[in-house]
Amino acid sequence: MKKPSHLLGLGFMLPALIVVVLFFLLPVFMTAGIAFTNMSTDTGITGGAYELTPNTIHNLRTQGVDNNLLAQLETDVYRIDEPGLAALATDMGDKLAKELGDTHGGVTFQSRRELERAIKKLKNKPRSTRKLKKAAAFFKRSILNQRFETESEFVSATRNLGLDLAPEHQEVLSKASYTGWTWTTENFSLMTKLPSTLRIAGNTVIYVFFTLTFNVSFGLFLAITTFYLPGKAAATFRTIWFLPRILPPVIYVLMWKWLTWDTGFISTFFGQFGVPAKNWMLDTNFHAWVVIILINGFVGASMGMILFSSAIRAIPAPMLYASEVDGATRWQQVRYIILPQLRWPILFITSYQTLSLLTSFEYIFLATDGGPGKATEVWALSAFHQALANYGGNLQYGYGAALALVLVIIGIIASVGYLRVFNFKELVARPRIEQ
Amino acid sequence: MKSRNFSSLPIIILLALVSLPLVTMYVFLFVDTISDAPAGSLIPTSFTLEHWRFLWEEPKVGETSIWPVTLNTFIFAATTSSIVMTVSLMAGYALSRLNMPFRRFMLAGLITLHAFPTITLIIAIFLILQLLGLYNTLLGVIIVKTALELPFGIWIMKGFYDTVPWEIEMAGVQDGASRFTVWWKLVLPQVQPGLVALGVFSFLSAWSEFILPQVLSPSGSGQVLSTYLNSLILDDTRPDFNMFKSVGLFYAMPVIFIYLTFQKKLMNIYGGGSKG
Amino acid sequence: MRILLDSFTKTFGDVTVIKDMNLDIKSGEMLALLGPSGCGKSTTLFAICGIHGMDGGRLLFGDKDVTSLPSQKRNVGVVFQNYALYPHMNVWENIAFPLKIQKRSKAVIEKEVQAMAELVQIEELLDRKPVQLSGGQQQRVALARALVRKPDILLLDEPLANLDAKLRLEMRSEIRRIQQQTGITAVLVTHDQVEAMSMCDRIAIMNGGKIVQLSAPEEMYRNPSSDFVAGFLGNPPIAFLEGVIKDSHCHLHGGETRVALNGHAQKVSDGQKIKLGIRPEFFRPEFDLKVKGKISFIEAHGRENLYDVVLDNGDILRSIQNHDAQYQLGQEVTWGICQDNILAFDGEGERL
Repeated sequence: MKKPSHLLGLGFMLPALIVVVLFFLLPVFMTAGIAFTNMSTDTGITGGAYELTPNTIHNLRTQGVDNNLLAQLETDVYRIDEPGLAALATDMGDKLAKELGDTHGGVTFQSRRELERAIKKLKNKPRSTRKLKKAAAFFKRSILNQRFETESEFVSATRNLGLDLAPEHQEVLSKASYTGWTWTTENFSLMTKLPSTLRIAGNTVIYVFFTLTFNVSFGLFLAITTFYLPGKAAATFRTIWFLPRILPPVIYVLMWKWLTWDTGFISTFFGQFGVPAKNWMLDTNFHAWVVIILINGFVGASMGMILFSSAIRAIPAPMLYASEVDGATRWQQVRYIILPQLRWPILFITSYQTLSLLTSFEYIFLATDGGPGKATEVWALSAFHQALANYGGNLQYGYGAALALVLVIIGIIASVGYLRVFNFKELVARPRIEQ
Repeated sequence: MKSRNFSSLPIIILLALVSLPLVTMYVFLFVDTISDAPAGSLIPTSFTLEHWRFLWEEPKVGETSIWPVTLNTFIFAATTSSIVMTVSLMAGYALSRLNMPFRRFMLAGLITLHAFPTITLIIAIFLILQLLGLYNTLLGVIIVKTALELPFGIWIMKGFYDTVPWEIEMAGVQDGASRFTVWWKLVLPQVQPGLVALGVFSFLSAWSEFILPQVLSPSGSGQVLSTYLNSLILDDTRPDFNMFKSVGLFYAMPVIFIYLTFQKKLMNIYGGGSKG
Repeated sequence: MRILLDSFTKTFGDVTVIKDMNLDIKSGEMLALLGPSGCGKSTTLFAICGIHGMDGGRLLFGDKDVTSLPSQKRNVGVVFQNYALYPHMNVWENIAFPLKIQKRSKAVIEKEVQAMAELVQIEELLDRKPVQLSGGQQQRVALARALVRKPDILLLDEPLANLDAKLRLEMRSEIRRIQQQTGITAVLVTHDQVEAMSMCDRIAIMNGGKIVQLSAPEEMYRNPSSDFVAGFLGNPPIAFLEGVIKDSHCHLHGGETRVALNGHAQKVSDGQKIKLGIRPEFFRPEFDLKVKGKISFIEAHGRENLYDVVLDNGDILRSIQNHDAQYQLGQEVTWGICQDNILAFDGEGERL
């Protein structure tokens, strides 16, 4: 049966579907793909060219490629070809160029001296040595530091050098001189080898664990305490604690910088008592961690506060009155009536924030940027640094993507886990109008 | 809860104490923008509007005036919010109410996306924008921000649609209206409060956004207030906190104003498990 | 307009809710679909109006097959249980909406809405929003909206369920008045037997996705086809006694009491299980077929009293009597059953 709502439904979904494909599905696959490349600013992202640099030759030498061959690649050769002849003609006249072309066209000389000797034998040879050298210079040919757009161009260029390369040597050479990105699993072997991996993993655990603990416990504290306050006082405190969440992160962190930096509030305040000024945010690793956890915690606690508050408000008031009539102290009321009702919200916040803390780095980036040293560099921030904000300037997209891929996979597993927790059946209840 | 059995004074004192750092920051965020204090002291001694001079002074060579940046930020936030509203309004309805192929699959996808930490995709998105030629443009940042905000928006709108009684739609269909007319004339007015809340939410979210403009449009014409303020803080060798705070307060004022106006509506959304 | 459901079948997923149902509703008639929740009465209503598709069978309005016609083209007016007024429109706009969809001229809309408002007597409420109306007023608006475009058929889905007792009484007669005044064919879905009996020309009583009986209210009350129908109709409800046939008498289980069967005797054989239904008004002191018991419960209804009488085997009979009879709780009584009005059912619950 053709149902008109099918068309309407798909039409309504279309914009959303396009966006999802372009900015969620595609990026997930791209992250996975790039993680297996050596893509970086150097290699570019669209593909590369072939270029033999002294650096490449040095690398090849350390790889044990035949020294003789490399020496040949490094030295210049002189080849009598059309571009060279044309240049010679405009500079020193057609006659010389024509004669040289006729006698030696297409010949390759292995050194300048050989070419000079050949030119000297010509009828129209240049008068002075200086001119001779200049004439020879027009035919200097080298593939060093020259870009070739395709591999075949590169190969024919090496052929033109008069080198007779074995195919396997040619292959090694092409591969080494390719400037674009290539597929590799190196990122992952590097990740397992580097000691910094363990470091950032450890930092991430510290960050997530302490921030989460702070968020949940402090969120609970705020929700319960404001619950017992008269309306106005409760609203005031809730606003105070909600603002960190709604304020733009840059401003929020700016306030913390003002609070903690050496010209800031704490230094100035303690300066009155003779304590020397210092940067309370970056002084030691411990300082940095405390500040990071507080910055994130103050923001995260407000989410807990809101969710827990509405859960507490959902508790029927007669239940609380009854407990008071039964003689419960305030602590007992919290412990035996309120907290048991908050089990689900606590579980929700814990699982939700674990995932989002694991992958967030905005506040750390703004506050300490991973410092001092790499003390507060967490996994997500490290991926960001590698791929998008590298001090060296050479952005390592491949390695950064490999780091991010770890988080993407955790994210996918966790969010599919969400599907199970949600009452999915109810969610997909069939539409009640069957048109 | 009001109860005469317990006194609230001890709680107020306790809360006031733990709130002290935040309150201090708020108070000085405001006070420092309109006053000067001698070095080594916290107590302001004189009133001044000096720190706000960036609003009216011609920018020095190499500096950017704040006005075009503010305009950028507004365009960024307003565009993002309108696209998010439009697309969520349609997709949310389709998922909530319409029979269509793959509906289950799309709903499952929506929940997964809603929970998925999108920031992990930023590297790939950065490269996609480069390939599309939208890197370092405001348009690119708008598109990406909109995209990342959508699963949440659709989720929220679906929730609002779910609360509209089916009978209203049935009655509309019986009265002879097409499904589209039913949606447009009968259902939309019912979800209007939700739509406003979503619009305000995504406006604020884009207005405050930092990482996306920082990564995807780091220089030039696409600058927004968050990156502007951040580069101001990073550039200066000797931090002029009074000036930073003035720019910051200028940047934060719309946020605070909008928050105070739409407080109740927003709470529905912030409580609904947003990014945190 | 006549409505004909011809072997209508409806499934939800793997569950068949209604199978091969036939129903013929006469033009101008008001028919009740009566039954407990989950019996399929609302499903039937949704199929008639087109909200649900049909998985089998045909639906005819008059001679026209509308089986695959969408709701919008069926010209059916529906009043929903919660009225489903459009909250953002005032009463006038609500009633005018179906006409606006038809793109009728302003003057026509104005005239029709006014006429409808007069019919349902809400002329002074036209500027109000639905939230400012009482339940009964909302009900009237919903009726007006359903009727304004002159539908062929009016469907009412539990229209009185959300009203308080007094309003329900008032709206019962109002709906009937409007239906008769307009002469429209109407289907009322309800689980309340009083509504069905007081408002409708005929009742289709449904159970488990089937129509178990289709008759006029009076006929159905007096002549139920099964114990289910007998039990469903009547307030206070009918009492059932179970027993076994022996010597043309019904011997009640676990006791000495015997009930003579005159009219039904030829239809039964010895040893057969049987169920006797006795309505409260047919169990009183003045009737002949005496039964002994003890009053276990008295419920004062004002004009009448309702007594529960426990027989020696523990079965209960109900009796409704004038309030001036003075009986005490726990009193031993010997009252009679009106033999002509015993309803006898076989072991399966079918009427004998």
